[in-house]
Amino acid sequence: METVELYNSQEQIVLDDLSEPVKTGTTIMAVQYKGGIVIGADSRTTSGALIVNRVTDKLTPVADKIFSLRSGSAADTQEIAAIVRYYLNILSTEQGKPPTVKMAANLFRQFCYVYKNYLLASIICAGYDETDGPSIYSIPLGGAIIKQPYAIGGSGSTYLYGYCDANFKEDMTKEECVSFVTNAVGLAIARDGSSGGIIRYAIIDSDGVERHTIYGDQVKNYFK
Amino acid sequence: MDPTKKTLQPYVTGSSVLAIKYNEGIIVAADTLGSYGSLARFTDLQRMSKVTNHTLIGGSGDISDLQQIQKTVESLILENTGFKKDEEPLTPKEIQQYISRVMYNRRSRFDPLWNHIIVAGYQNNESFLGAVDIFGTFYEDNTIASGFGAYFAQPLLRKGYKEDLTKDEAIDLIKTCLKVLFYRDARTINKFQIAEVSEGGITISDPFELETHWEIADWQEGHL
Amino acid sequence: MSGIGTGYDVTPTTYSPEGRIFQVEYAARSVENSSTAIGIRVSDGVIFGVEKKIISKMLVKGSNRRVGSVGDHIGASIAGLTADGRRIIKQANSEAKSYKDLTSEAIPLNVLVDRISSFVQMHTLYASIRPFGCAVMFGSYNEKDGAQLFLVEPSGVSFGYYGCAIGKAKQSAKTEIEKLNLSELTCREAIKQVAKIIYTIHDESKDKEMELEMSWICKESGGKHELVPDDLIAEAEQFAKDNTVSTNILNFDNI
Repeated sequence: METVELYNSQEQIVLDDLSEPVKTGTTIMAVQYKGGIVIGADSRTTSGALIVNRVTDKLTPVADKIFSLRSGSAADTQEIAAIVRYYLNILSTEQGKPPTVKMAANLFRQFCYVYKNYLLASIICAGYDETDGPSIYSIPLGGAIIKQPYAIGGSGSTYLYGYCDANFKEDMTKEECVSFVTNAVGLAIARDGSSGGIIRYAIIDSDGVERHTIYGDQVKNYFK
Repeated sequence: MDPTKKTLQPYVTGSSVLAIKYNEGIIVAADTLGSYGSLARFTDLQRMSKVTNHTLIGGSGDISDLQQIQKTVESLILENTGFKKDEEPLTPKEIQQYISRVMYNRRSRFDPLWNHIIVAGYQNNESFLGAVDIFGTFYEDNTIASGFGAYFAQPLLRKGYKEDLTKDEAIDLIKTCLKVLFYRDARTINKFQIAEVSEGGITISDPFELETHWEIADWQEGHL
Repeated sequence: MSGIGTGYDVTPTTYSPEGRIFQVEYAARSVENSSTAIGIRVSDGVIFGVEKKIISKMLVKGSNRRVGSVGDHIGASIAGLTADGRRIIKQANSEAKSYKDLTSEAIPLNVLVDRISSFVQMHTLYASIRPFGCAVMFGSYNEKDGAQLFLVEPSGVSFGYYGCAIGKAKQSAKTEIEKLNLSELTCREAIKQVAKIIYTIHDESKDKEMELEMSWICKESGGKHELVPDDLIAEAEQFAKDNTVSTNILNFDNI
């Protein structure tokens, strides 16, 4: 490739990559099933083409049963999640009961909307609460908020629209939902250079959170 | 130092909103798509909402800004409670004026709210149909169409409009316009909602599909 | 009130040697002097009833409200200095707005009451400000939490109640409320009872003319705080007039 000639050595490429902002290229998704939700993500964090973390945890809790799935700038989304976690902690202490997913999602919306000019953050907020049961919200770039039965996000999601449109069903069983999520993330990992590593997924229902990982060598390979 | 960039491009966008007065109220319609560039990302998004018992607002353009406007107006109305609960709520015209001031203020800071807002209301036995554009320009008309609708639907609406238009005639006319927009606007999907604003209050229909025709394809065959 | 002349009652910043804060007690006194307001929590909602003195014949009917709204999902009713009560309800509205702007959800009543209590309590800590001379009842109704009723007093304490009464005739009003089967009553039935209580405690011979002000927040009003419709009030007033036996209970009140 021509561009390589511009660099003195392989080392220079890596150095240039290091000066790129750290992004979670990412495949993230959250899916509602009967009684709960399944959330899933890849684990790749990149700076340019360099993988700075191959086992990232992109399923970030902001309350006991509420998670944020982060994509965009790692720095921005980590900070927003920390602020939202702080607010939810105060609000739930004041109310004497756990916060709702709606509340958490609207806090994300608030920050992403007001500071849209300064942020690169696209978040899925998903979880379970006693008021609304399982719920999922997308907060894409710009800070809109959209409630959905399932949500996909990150660079890898562009490869998944067709698969999800064809295979998503309402009121799946927990097992159907888990394989829907893990298959989808696996497919995206296979085709998206910015997604990869392991699949982290979690099941959230009235009983609590159950976390799982599928190691990189166990991720099903879809092409030969 | 680089100049500060404020006027960003919109991210999640909605296309046309159409509205027409009839003898007993107003019909407003829009599709349910939230586009993400050319990606049809959110296919079940309601772009019209009831802000008082008498007033409905609908909007094209950036969805996050539209949601912010909806929130601002709802908040304004709640602020006017206290001891004045039984007084007349804000009229549709007052709501249009308020939105126009907010939008003019933002355009003056070179940071416009990226929307074309349609305000439809029925209060004190009178229909109100008005709009506010991205710059805060406000106007009233018997027929209004935003986005691509300004080019494709407005001429049809004006041609079909008459003083004593019945509700059924108005709905038929609006459906014709929606169909034309589906044929010619690449940011429209065949999933629409129609709202009715009249003496009886405001109702927004469930999403529905329109019948489309493709027989002209046979004529095209073999031609360039 | 043994504080008078002792020097311990001029600011709320000084305790008396017995550990009392006379300014706060005086503030409570201004609630006792006010005409009465009651609030009851029944199976499907909360109703407020206010005995509103007509201070001038030139006053427009329905003016000088003593029931107000916080957002549209919480009702409030005040006794004591009306101006102070208005300030508290204004504060409540501003808390409701900031909560909604942040979370997009309506403020839960217990959260609002906590914040207002804290606001009222803050006014008992400084020499430069006067404690609020009013008590405010807050009520709400929704499917999930059912009906709720709270009272915030001038000292800043607040409790939840099945029924409460504030103002001049609170004692006899409470006695009347206690006779009701609150958990069985519905709002529609309770309107009549509330009207009856207000008419019972109102002493026609001693007090000025009054207007009955009633609001409700219940299943029937769709969880929104509204003034009780005129026809229902008229019906309830008629019922109250027909069923009120004695108006002299009031005389034993302030002993």
